[in-house]
Amino acid sequence: MGEACDDDADVARVVGGDLEAFAGIVHRWQRRLVGLAWRFCRDRAAAEDMAQEAFLKAFRSLRAYRGESAFSTWLTAIALNTYRSRLRAEGPALLAIDLLPALAVEPGALRDLQDRERTEAVRRAVLALPPRYRDALVVYYFQERDLKEAAQILGIAEGTLKANLHRGREMLRCRCAEFAPRPGDPVPEGT
Amino acid sequence: MNTEDLDRILSSDDSLEPSAGFAGAVMGGVRRLAAEPAPLPFPWPRFSLGLVACATMAAAGAALVPRAEPILRAVVAPLAAVGPELGWATLAVIVSVGLARLPGVFARP
Repeated sequence: MGEACDDDADVARVVGGDLEAFAGIVHRWQRRLVGLAWRFCRDRAAAEDMAQEAFLKAFRSLRAYRGESAFSTWLTAIALNTYRSRLRAEGPALLAIDLLPALAVEPGALRDLQDRERTEAVRRAVLALPPRYRDALVVYYFQERDLKEAAQILGIAEGTLKANLHRGREMLRCRCAEFAPRPGDPVPEGT
Repeated sequence: MNTEDLDRILSSDDSLEPSAGFAGAVMGGVRRLAAEPAPLPFPWPRFSLGLVACATMAAAGAALVPRAEPILRAVVAPLAAVGPELGWATLAVIVSVGLARLPGVFARP
């Protein structure tokens, strides 16, 4: 609530000509925008570059913000469109999805490493999906599985998002079949 | 790998902390952007005037050319005697040159 009020106040100040008020918006939302960009590229420098571009686009479009949706939704939608355009222009990131060579020797460390490798490989496999399924999966899980909010950010109906999520998960499951724990593998803790 | 595994992996915290200079870099970009001169507005008055002039010329051409046909026939008659196609081609060239020069006539102070 307080954050939304701060956003509205800062937007009003920026539109009124006080540029420095935009620093408040950047401060509050930088972690979120960099985090979303990171999920799309898995590269720190590229993520920060993409997030910066998204902030500049938001700054240019601030006069168009009418408060019809939450500021966070509006800003995230701008960021998403920026990241999509960038990925479309530059092509999908070339990321290895092979499992890393095992470096640890202790049994516990090896188990943790295998689990981390598997997790990272699945996250990278998401980026190799066709854009509509990739975007649906990334935004849905980034929004902590809030279907309504994710659909708003993506600009599609909830039913369409559900269908894209289902199809995306199916494709991901096929592609990640080889990363599934094998019978001899140790079971991760907490499962 | 089942849906629960995918949910667990994709839901797990996977955030990246922005570097220390990130906010400063963004604000630097914002200041640069704000310092740029505003883009030139589209010249709507000139565009509208040009559009009206084009429409007027088209209407005037459509009205005048049929009336001027006897005069034009007289002009191209010697050429038409040589060959009808040559006569009509010459007429087309004359009309085109005339129409092309017309805006220049209007533009003179």
